[in-house]
Amino acid sequence: MYTLDFALQILANGIVIGSVYVLVALGLTLIFGILGIVNFAHGEFYMLGAYFGITAAAIYGLSLFPLLLVGILGVVLVGLLSERLVFRPLAGGDMTSSIITSFGLAVALQNAALIAFGPQPKLLRTPWAQIPVEIGPVFMPLQRALIPVIALVLVVAVHVVLRHTWTGRSLRAMAQHGTLAQLYGVDVKRVAVVTFAVGAALAGGAGVLMSSVFLVQPTVGNMIALKAFTVVILGGMGNVYGAVSAGLFLGIAETFVAGYLTNTLRDIVGFALVVVVLLIRPQGLFGRAIDRA
Amino acid sequence: MRAFLIAVAVLAALALLPLAVAGGYLLHVLVVIFIFVILAVGLDLVMGYCGQYSFAQGAFYGIGAYTAAILHRDLGFGFWQTLPSGIVAAGLFGLLLGIPSLRLSGHFLAITTIAFQTIVYLLLTQWTSFTGGQYGLPVPKVGALTLFGWELFRVETVRDFYFLALGCMAAAIGVAWRLAHSRIGRQWQAIQDDELLARAIGVDVTRGKLVAFVASAGLAGAAGVLLAHYLQGVSPDDFAIWTSATVVAMVLAGGRASIVGPILGAVLFTAMPEVLRSAQSYKLVIYGVVMILVVSFLPGGIVGLLRRERRA
Amino acid sequence: MSLLVCEGVTRRFGGLVAVDAVDLAVGEGEIVGLIGPNGSGKSTMVNLVTGVLPPSAGRIRFAGRDVTGMPSWRVARLGIARTFQMLRLFKSMSVRENVALALHPKLDGGLLGSALGLARPAAADRDARARADALLDLFGLAALADRPATALSIGQQRMVELARGMIVEPRLFVLDEPAAGLSPPNVEKLIELIRAMRDRHGITILLVEHVMKVVHALCDRVVVLDYGVKIADDDPDAVARDPRVVEAYIGGARKADDAGAG
Ligand SMILES: Nc1ncnc2c1ncn2[C@@H]1O[C@H](COP(=O)(O)OP(=O)(O)O)[C@@H](O)[C@H]1O
Ligand SMILES: [Mg+2]
Repeated sequence: MYTLDFALQILANGIVIGSVYVLVALGLTLIFGILGIVNFAHGEFYMLGAYFGITAAAIYGLSLFPLLLVGILGVVLVGLLSERLVFRPLAGGDMTSSIITSFGLAVALQNAALIAFGPQPKLLRTPWAQIPVEIGPVFMPLQRALIPVIALVLVVAVHVVLRHTWTGRSLRAMAQHGTLAQLYGVDVKRVAVVTFAVGAALAGGAGVLMSSVFLVQPTVGNMIALKAFTVVILGGMGNVYGAVSAGLFLGIAETFVAGYLTNTLRDIVGFALVVVVLLIRPQGLFGRAIDRA
Repeated sequence: MRAFLIAVAVLAALALLPLAVAGGYLLHVLVVIFIFVILAVGLDLVMGYCGQYSFAQGAFYGIGAYTAAILHRDLGFGFWQTLPSGIVAAGLFGLLLGIPSLRLSGHFLAITTIAFQTIVYLLLTQWTSFTGGQYGLPVPKVGALTLFGWELFRVETVRDFYFLALGCMAAAIGVAWRLAHSRIGRQWQAIQDDELLARAIGVDVTRGKLVAFVASAGLAGAAGVLLAHYLQGVSPDDFAIWTSATVVAMVLAGGRASIVGPILGAVLFTAMPEVLRSAQSYKLVIYGVVMILVVSFLPGGIVGLLRRERRA
Repeated sequence: MSLLVCEGVTRRFGGLVAVDAVDLAVGEGEIVGLIGPNGSGKSTMVNLVTGVLPPSAGRIRFAGRDVTGMPSWRVARLGIARTFQMLRLFKSMSVRENVALALHPKLDGGLLGSALGLARPAAADRDARARADALLDLFGLAALADRPATALSIGQQRMVELARGMIVEPRLFVLDEPAAGLSPPNVEKLIELIRAMRDRHGITILLVEHVMKVVHALCDRVVVLDYGVKIADDDPDAVARDPRVVEAYIGGARKADDAGAG
């Protein structure tokens, strides 16, 4: 069992799961870093993406890429509504109000999903789920193998937007110094809208991708959101590239713990790391030291 | 003084209530409210007075409940032993969680407490051999409460338990009130206002924060023991992060640092789902929306609103 | 013997040496002035003496005890009170509460006593309130005792800070620019108050001040800092004539002008 092939297979599984953590955590860390909002309903964005994908597949029989588009657009709409109705009224309030309201939003969205989609677990099936891919000793269905590839494309897209567009520059300006950015004419409302749209799109996309691997239920977002938070902390809060490294790291660490130690500890790894990291290196494993004073 | 008289009057009315109503359902809802009042008033000490955000009240609640279940299973403990054990166990974990509060503040602390809450929940669900996993563990009824061999009171029915829970809640409110209005309570407010200044006038901030965490967790532990005996069992889902978030919402919605506020918040958020029972499946949507509205539009909570009304 | 002795005290912030090997002694019953241009390290020195910051090097002794690196709350309990250059009051509390709270650590009863509301702490609390009221009366703040502390004017808030320090009957009172923001009549009142603290209550005073009038009126001795280094330590008149001090102040004035223009 403890062969190199086994280790490589585990590594590949870890990368698949890690890519999903990266997508969810990226949106979360952008929303936190730019807007200072702790959004616990982010897992519900993921959950809704999965349901939109599954529903579209059931009704129209679309293939993966159109499904991805449906899931992303649907969740972007939800994200924009949440921003407008739930988070914008809080602007200027303290950080815990955003935690509590996002909990309220999560409860409401979860319950709405229960009413709309029912409690039975569902799984996304596309023809690509049947096509096996073999890379050396590693084996997985095509649909799963595509997850890291699509995640990479999305991450690069976000990178390009942040680095090379005017919108991206104003987002980064807000993240670095909110009040100063406002003085220099950055439109805060527009920044908030764009940030939520990007964050929701990434989470919705992750939901569609992962709905072929994990069963989807209305409560599936809970654990994903908490995992994404560990990634955000490990990567350094608000640090985009830290979230990418930490997401992959967590995915791989989890599959190795499950593969070599015990499945029981799988979910605990990340949270235990978080407590240690916050005590020793509050700027995160992959973050630069920032002045918090 | 007036507040004290009102409190006595309300408690007396609650004590007489079972004579007037026959229905077990109302008493059941009230028992749940009493338990949440203990949780919320406890959280108010650390969050409202000391200013340390904690999203782990549900974890301490669970630690209290599971301490009761496990000590009953392994040592045959009854209520008189499980109650102090649950308080002490939760208090010790409160001390543990207090340590990060000495170095972290704001959202860093809030998120550490969320991580702690999640670890406890995951241990409850996954350490099956010790906690019974998703199925949980059985806990006996309280039964006969004896003191030095004298039987004081038998707790068999919901009505009996109602009196026990009422008594525990009154005691918890009393302890919280005393702490909040004593010297340590004012030191907590000093710490919340300005930690550096508090130190400069000689306040032992380390001790103050740790005491707040321990007291808050201890009360949650007591609430957990009550719940375990009331439901005659424990299972992890009562102690998930949603419980913690709900208790935080109770404190914020009622009005922090007021004792009365968290009580009103606990009543609001516990009674609402019951009142909304006719709305059936929509009740949690409404619940979530109310949570959002209250936090967005009532920054001082219900108590803040009442104070403004009175001044106007 | 000196009440406060600093030997070679140094404090660095990254590469910046804010206080550089300063020796400072304050005798029992003295009023010592600590002056210097903006940014010369005066407030940092106050933070070192009161334990808010640990020194990077050097020793600090108070009343014969080594207090180097001791946390500020323990230093406070040994009998050093202070005020802040940037006023600091508890914003959720009334004037009276702000002053009375300073007594709490002295009275620290047991936790159990607090929880059970035993008689002794309650009596001590009443006593604390009474003493706070007496002091507020002395400082001309009696009418404002129930107002929120931060609703007061700057001058009144400075008086509350002084009352907060006085109530614990400290052995050493460190004042960081107490005259900043005061009107001329209030400066006169401040001078009287500080003098009374020493003359009537025997409190030793370390006074950081910008307003030379206050320094001249009160100080037995003046220590001058420039770029964190002690450049003079003498009686006020001698210091005023010291060419190095004059140079430091003119240099400081020039720096301030540059900053203003930039
Ligand atoms: N906490 C700190 N971190 C970094 N630099 C500081 C800090 N406190 C003071 N300084 C620096 O130390 C120098 C001395 O400051 P300070 O003691 O406030 O001077 P003064 O009170 O004489 O005006 C200044 O250059 C100031 O910028
Ligand atoms: Mg200064």
